[in-house]
Amino acid sequence: MKKFLLKSLLFLIPVLACIVTVFSLADGFTDPFYMRFATPSQTSLIIGTSRAAQGLQPAVLNEVLGRSDLFNYAFTMDHSPYGPTYLKSIQRKLKEGKGSQIFIITADPWSVSSSSETPNDIQSFRERKEFLGGTFLVNMRPNLIYLLRYYNGPFIDLLRQQNNSTFLHDDGWLEVNITMDTASVSKRIKSKLEDYSIKMSKYQLSTARLAYLEETISFLQTQGTVYLVRMPVHPELQKMDDQISPDFSEILRAISKKTKCSFLDLKPMNGKFQYTDGMHLYKDSGAEVSEMIGSWIFGLEK
Amino acid sequence: MLFNSIDFAVFLPVVFALYWFVAGRNIRFQNFIVVAASYVFYGWWDWRFLSLILFSTLLDFGIGIGLDKVERPSARKALLWASIAVNLAFLGFFKYYNFFLDNFVTAFSFFGQEIQGGSLNVILPVGISFYTFQTLSYSIDVYRGRLKPTKNFMAFAAFVGFFPQLVAGPIERATHLLPQFYARRTFNYSMAVDGLRQILWGLFKKIVIADNCAEFASLVFNNSADYGGSTLLLGALFFTFQIYGDFSGYSDIAIGTSRLFGFDLMRNFNYPYFSRDIAEFWRRWHISLSTWFRDYVYIPLGGSKGNTWLKIRNTFIIFVVSGFWHGANWTFIIWGALNALYFIPLLLAKKNRTHLDTIAQGRIFPRLGELRNMLFTFGLTVVAWIFFRAENVAHAMDYLGGLFSTSLFTIPAGADFLGTALHPFTLFALLGFFFFVEWVGREHQHALSTLGLRWKRPLRIGFYYALVVAIFALGGKEQQFIYFQF
Repeated sequence: MKKFLLKSLLFLIPVLACIVTVFSLADGFTDPFYMRFATPSQTSLIIGTSRAAQGLQPAVLNEVLGRSDLFNYAFTMDHSPYGPTYLKSIQRKLKEGKGSQIFIITADPWSVSSSSETPNDIQSFRERKEFLGGTFLVNMRPNLIYLLRYYNGPFIDLLRQQNNSTFLHDDGWLEVNITMDTASVSKRIKSKLEDYSIKMSKYQLSTARLAYLEETISFLQTQGTVYLVRMPVHPELQKMDDQISPDFSEILRAISKKTKCSFLDLKPMNGKFQYTDGMHLYKDSGAEVSEMIGSWIFGLEK
Repeated sequence: MLFNSIDFAVFLPVVFALYWFVAGRNIRFQNFIVVAASYVFYGWWDWRFLSLILFSTLLDFGIGIGLDKVERPSARKALLWASIAVNLAFLGFFKYYNFFLDNFVTAFSFFGQEIQGGSLNVILPVGISFYTFQTLSYSIDVYRGRLKPTKNFMAFAAFVGFFPQLVAGPIERATHLLPQFYARRTFNYSMAVDGLRQILWGLFKKIVIADNCAEFASLVFNNSADYGGSTLLLGALFFTFQIYGDFSGYSDIAIGTSRLFGFDLMRNFNYPYFSRDIAEFWRRWHISLSTWFRDYVYIPLGGSKGNTWLKIRNTFIIFVVSGFWHGANWTFIIWGALNALYFIPLLLAKKNRTHLDTIAQGRIFPRLGELRNMLFTFGLTVVAWIFFRAENVAHAMDYLGGLFSTSLFTIPAGADFLGTALHPFTLFALLGFFFFVEWVGREHQHALSTLGLRWKRPLRIGFYYALVVAIFALGGKEQQFIYFQF
């Protein structure tokens, strides 16, 4: 047995060393999520789905607010809808700050909806078996657990210079660089509309998820100040949102009242911004919206 | 828990340490650790279905005790049928309920009767077909007097739930595996090292070959209407290698893992794509299932005894049932029936046991005739796999229609495979290497049994490292094992 263990160890040590070396090359080009798990724990967070992940730029917000600690910890509607999985992951990512921590919580109807026949059954929540549930260490670089479990492709890609259209910044903002000519944008919006009209037949608002949104707000209020935001979306996609929940702004307003947090509804400004695909703000508009939210928070903090 | 996951990479050494260092030589404690580990392994997927395994274990353990106590033939038969009925009822409900319901509704619609079917959102418990057949083999063998019923519940629970083969086989016989849980296990260095080699090759087959082929095969099968015959042929070939790499890879990992714990599992694959006729193929493909059907269905039906009609009937029954075992879809039934059609001419000509040895045994290259037969048999299986992989019968027929068209003689365009992780030529090179290693090892238990053992140590270790590097560097997108769904 000793011989077996010794030889196995001797064989495995170089393998593990190589894995760690190669994995340490993973960066913002690796995938749209990795860097959020490969950065230290954070004090102030942006929470939400891909609308916030691509739309809210911590660098802009930090500049407006005169701080340096905001971190974008938003993922996608499939991975980070409100529920126990996301809340637990937020708790893992968070560390106590010395000063006043802030949290920007963004919500849209999809982030509080379920695709299962029983929308309030926590066991059937779609994100349970996705990476947020399985990545229990979220502040490690290289994050071996995330890469081994969820990296979607051959690891040889980590050695290659990636030429992706997306880059995940160290502050968690997902930068998307794609052509923004009218024809391309229209095509992407059309495709998104088709995609979401299929999804819409399955999704319905979940009271359990709304309760988790409240719980997330309440938990973060124990750490600092929470600001609730409804992100803008292209008017065509807004129609989809309205079909899932026609009075969603009212629901958020009620939650903000109940939890005593400030609420900013950007829905009335939907038409003022540029979107890559109707759902996500183009980076220039994202900077504009980030500045707008920053100024709003700045005004409230004064 | 998947064998090709980080979870299993942590789980296996922990269980290994508990089994050999904590339980030591205490057999009962070792069995307890096997049971606990197996339940964790299974519960990792969905703990709610552990109750099914436990129920099946209690049922057949109890029936075994009952068969030991009862002597009256009618009572013994009743006990056996109780085991068969309950086990198959569970299997039928979870796997076939919606299939039968849909076909029932369709059949009535055909006769002008509109009826409403209450289809259920039934989740198929992973591995139910495997452990159900394993426990059934116990009850049947005890009934037939081939096995003394066990009174050791922990050993029986370990036999039913043994984690390496719990969810995708090999489907063990109680006569082979159960006694191993009574015997003292001592660590065997050579066996463990060989087990590791088999695990390594299994991982290579699954992660490098099957998962990469899966990406190409899915691309072609999911968009089959857009492709010409030559690309459809490539898609079918990729699936042919995918299913072999996936399932035989799983079996290799399962058998290799068992060897680390001192257990010997039955062989499940014996290089089936090197078969010279379809009968040989079926002696080499999913051996544990084929022999299960042979022993518990084919032979009780009369086997190949009796008149020609009976032979044909029995052959059809086991192939169709075997197809249906794979899933509740007409595609699997047709796949089974097609294989029966391939097999029956050999049976009738009494040529179904012509090739009992290994192709080119003791030689490097096959003879021209052997090569021709091998390629022909391989071609037949490729066509049959199209039914296995297709979404439905219409899809399979369209696929075949597109394949056997004039476009079969065109050169596939590189653009057909845009977006795949590997370049098609890289995959061809990997398949060439895979074929070579399997060919070299075809006379042994697994491809790495002896390969490299006579090489100089640095070369041999370098070869193993190359496989490890390939697994990490060239591994395809992680896919669940195909046979989990069966």
